Amino acid sequence: MPDDRELLDTGASSQLLGDRFPGMAATDEAVMAISTEHLDGGDVLAKKPLGFLFWFAVTWVALVFLAAILANVLPLQNPNFQNYSALNQGPSTAHWLGTDDLGRDLLARLIFGSRVSLIVGFCGVAIGLAIGGTAGLISGYKGGKLDIALNAGSFIILAFPAIVAVIAIVTFWGASLLHITIILGVGTIPLMFRVIRATSLSFAQRDFVIAAKTMGATDTRVVLREILPNVVPVMVTFSLITVAGIIVIEGTLAFLGLSVSLPTPSWGNLINEGTANNALSTDPYIMMWPALSMFLLLWSINLIGDRLRQRFDIREGLL
Amino acid sequence: MGKYLIRRVLQLVVVAFVISVLTFLLVHLLPGDPTTVILGPNDTAANRAILLKQLGLNLPLWHQYLTWIGAVFHGNLGTSYLNHQSVSHILATGAPVDLELIIISQVIAFAVAVPLALVTSRRPNKPLDNVATTSTFGLLALPPFVVAPILVAVFAVGLGWFPATGYTPFTQSPAQNIHEMILPSVAITAGSIAVYYRLLRSDLISTLQQDFITMARSKGLSGRRIMWRHAFRPSSFSLLAAAGINIGALIAGTFVVELLFVLPGIGYALVQAVEQRDYLVVQGIALVVAVAYVLIQFIIDFIFTIVDPRVVRE
Amino acid sequence: MSVTEPQEISRRTFLSQGAKAGGAVVLAGAAGGALAACGSSTSGSSSTSAPSGSKPGVGTGSPVRGGSLSVGLVAEIDGFYPPNNHWDTNGFNYANAIYDPLCAVAADGSIQPYLCQSVTPNATFDTWTMVLRPNVKFHDGSALTSAVVVANFQALQASLLTGQALTQVTSCTATDPMTVVYKLQAPNPGFAAGLTTQVGYVVGQAMIDSVKSGNARATPVGTGPFVYQSWQPNDHFTVTRNPNYWRSGLPYLDQITFRPIPDTIQRESTLKTGGVDMIQSTDPNTIKRFGGQSGYQVVDTATGVLGEPTVAFIMLNTAVAPTNDLSIRKALAQSLDQATIQKIFGGGYAKPINGLFLPDSPYYSDPGYPAYDPAAAKKLVTQYAASHGTPKLTLLTITDPRLAQVVQIIQNMWNQVGFDVTISQIEQANLINDFIAGQFQAATSYQFGAIDPDLNYVWWSTTTVKPIGSIALNFPRNSDPVIEQNMMTGRHTTDQATRAKAYQAVNDQLAKDLPYLWLQQYLFTEVATSRVQNFANPTLPSGAKQYAYDEGIFVPTQIWLSK
Repeated sequence: MPDDRELLDTGASSQLLGDRFPGMAATDEAVMAISTEHLDGGDVLAKKPLGFLFWFAVTWVALVFLAAILANVLPLQNPNFQNYSALNQGPSTAHWLGTDDLGRDLLARLIFGSRVSLIVGFCGVAIGLAIGGTAGLISGYKGGKLDIALNAGSFIILAFPAIVAVIAIVTFWGASLLHITIILGVGTIPLMFRVIRATSLSFAQRDFVIAAKTMGATDTRVVLREILPNVVPVMVTFSLITVAGIIVIEGTLAFLGLSVSLPTPSWGNLINEGTANNALSTDPYIMMWPALSMFLLLWSINLIGDRLRQRFDIREGLL
Repeated sequence: MGKYLIRRVLQLVVVAFVISVLTFLLVHLLPGDPTTVILGPNDTAANRAILLKQLGLNLPLWHQYLTWIGAVFHGNLGTSYLNHQSVSHILATGAPVDLELIIISQVIAFAVAVPLALVTSRRPNKPLDNVATTSTFGLLALPPFVVAPILVAVFAVGLGWFPATGYTPFTQSPAQNIHEMILPSVAITAGSIAVYYRLLRSDLISTLQQDFITMARSKGLSGRRIMWRHAFRPSSFSLLAAAGINIGALIAGTFVVELLFVLPGIGYALVQAVEQRDYLVVQGIALVVAVAYVLIQFIIDFIFTIVDPRVVRE
Repeated sequence: MSVTEPQEISRRTFLSQGAKAGGAVVLAGAAGGALAACGSSTSGSSSTSAPSGSKPGVGTGSPVRGGSLSVGLVAEIDGFYPPNNHWDTNGFNYANAIYDPLCAVAADGSIQPYLCQSVTPNATFDTWTMVLRPNVKFHDGSALTSAVVVANFQALQASLLTGQALTQVTSCTATDPMTVVYKLQAPNPGFAAGLTTQVGYVVGQAMIDSVKSGNARATPVGTGPFVYQSWQPNDHFTVTRNPNYWRSGLPYLDQITFRPIPDTIQRESTLKTGGVDMIQSTDPNTIKRFGGQSGYQVVDTATGVLGEPTVAFIMLNTAVAPTNDLSIRKALAQSLDQATIQKIFGGGYAKPINGLFLPDSPYYSDPGYPAYDPAAAKKLVTQYAASHGTPKLTLLTITDPRLAQVVQIIQNMWNQVGFDVTISQIEQANLINDFIAGQFQAATSYQFGAIDPDLNYVWWSTTTVKPIGSIALNFPRNSDPVIEQNMMTGRHTTDQATRAKAYQAVNDQLAKDLPYLWLQQYLFTEVATSRVQNFANPTLPSGAKQYAYDEGIFVPTQIWLSK
């Protein structure tokens, strides 16, 4: 990321025709009017119905979270109960999603597993956002010594071979849900920092920000009112992807034996279990359900975010 | 330009130094040492002491660190305690493997993600966009260790189009090499496609809503021209930043694919070295990879300055 | 998945310290009892798909010269110098290509000379005279002489890795250019068996000198059927035909390339796509996947094991709580349903085992190992819990997907009778460290494959028990004088009946002491395409059949590829 922020004075920084071509002030007015139009072809005044898919997505997300929270009281089978006469079965009335290679009910493992994955995923990203995101936001805007220092710091963390760090930390600290969440969360800090800093930086150069500052807005106000709203879309998109990434990385950790101790299920280690020992051939359901659940969850959250964004018309770039 | 470069080099040195210290400490603080792996059950107290002395591991940590760093400055990264390969050799043979993996996979990722994003961001929430969104989320849900066996089962064993494992150096046989690298590269691409597509699309949609785009439209510019000349460049920041991070993650994360496809890459060597407490190998690889990573970041930053004329390198 | 293949702790990597007299081993020319009684007389092979009239691994028709064979191995090794490098089954597969051992095991279980012409003991079994074969050349043209063998021995003795195993030898001298005389500390009729292990493989003087001068990656120089060509660790090891091999007419192949492929399914896929011609596997399900398939030959150790098979078991630490309590160990044993474990973990092929010997072994007798009885187990646990609280233990294992499966089964079975079991997956190196220091309660392991029970002495002896924290080779710290006594009896006697009784007594004691909870035989499998001929039918220089598939180790000398 560039450290120096002098604007190149080519005059291209101004986006108002009127500034460059004095006779075009009227065109500016017209432009302002047009620019309130949405690009997706919708009418800015009428409220778009949220649609069936939206509600499907909401239901799914709610279902997943509720099931995770209420797992203990739901009438589920014991996720660790091994039934040696019901190995590798497909969906049936006895086991709605089938059983795994040790005869354990896949539905129960999926739901109990969602707890681990949701916590690791969302809390991990929350840590990353809270620390890395905030730092990136501020650092991108302010620049200067703080930026250089934080930048170097993020470099160091990112350049450090993650696998060595994880093996070392898990060996010392032990692998528990809390530890894994923190480790993975801390691991996302530099990612959040970098991406949000990049976005923050690009917005910090914009005229509307400079205008706000010129008008006397404090840094805090500028960051919160001008930059943050523009950073939010990228933040949300990237966070969602990172949630997926963390859940999957937890699976890779399970692959290396560095995750929550067996037999605790998680979507990551279910996927891992579903590919080990030739399970893809003998019982593809083991891998399928967690992968499908995760996919649906991500897709749903994304859809909800998109629709809400459309609905409440978050705009950027206005002076 | 001079000041810029000096600043960069300084950053590089600082990062390299910190990484070297951190890696050294971490790996030495891990319980156990190479004697168990070397001696196995013959690891009696007496033998262990002798071997530790032979390997120079009985000296205080700071002494070992300085010896190592001193050697590094002379170009000697040390050798493995186990199979006595020189770390330089491991890096020299492993780097091309990973480089190729990363290049091919990123090329595929960009080739898929960028056009897709350019097309779908103009018409968000229309069918193509929905399909693309759905597919990319599907890709995110499938890590390499899942994709790889499926790819092998379908394309190697099933159709016989590709080999299941193995690596031929590019210099030995380019055709064979590419042939062997396709499946592994595809296996690690999935996540990258998803990340790049989602980010670029999101950024593009935001950019497209801005005034200067409306301005360009009002001037009568075609959609495609708008996309490419006016929208893409500002939208590519987070993409570039993500690419930088992603490549870093890939450098270390190729381990699974290397293990499964038996590619003699650095990731696998690193993990094996950690497990076997092969200190010099871990330290050497970590240091070189870190330096390479920082250099890549610098290059990406430089590209930033080219892409965005609003910010300039001094 | 474990990046480093679990290293079998076996007699092959650790020659037993034969300090006292005993043990019966037949050598060429020596009279006396034979180890022949041990094991069946057929080389290990399971009859699965093969061209009609032939057995898998046994070549039909006349040998074809030429061709290149590629073999997929389970894991890589660290090097080819016996004094410095740990050889597991993979190591020996490499070694058999470029080196020859001084002695080898015949199909009837006896120890026969191989690189040497004869090795004869004196009447008191404390001096052994070895005559080497004449006109044997190393790959670099130098001759096999007694001086070289002595130089080999000295390097082995000086080594931290192999030195301990050879402390029993007080001197090794060349009395004439073709004769080596070993003098032992104490009589040991079983001495020659050691010459079939790592310490029996002979390398050329040039290699010894090179290593001595500091070149840790000296080019391997041996007398073997193939010559070293290139090695890229974790990628390939290539050897080419030795045109001057001392076994005339051999080998048939022009070249062999070994490729370590750690992931089992990927290794099998490589075989299926033709990337390799032959693979090794430690997953019994490989038999299921290739058995009966046309185009493949499967050989495994489910039948035909000579001596003791490699066994998979749970090791219990008899010196720490709660496993120091015999009733707890009994409960742990009684709650394991071996049949189920064998079905899932063993693919239905690995036989459940209740001791050291398989039913077809001459040493076999029912040792009275506790049968599956969860009700009884529960009672014992409840009793224990009444005074000590719920017994908690940690089950250690390495990060291997198959072991991950079996430890969950075992944890489940133990929890059901009242234990509170935690699973901990750690690295291989750490596991061995924990074994050595006694810092474990229960752990998975596999060991004890040996041509003769005496070679397992160190693991069971009272002399190798040390307190927790100190290094001990009797990992479970099971100090049982009855076992010690019987191991000694077995070592002292040449009478087969007495030996059998002694080792049965050892087996019975192990079933009483319960330092090991037997799970099943640990199977080794090799699968080759139908082109690969004669990979499981080697013969000794004398013409007698050699032990064909020794716990995952095959002999490449007489393999050919049909057109």
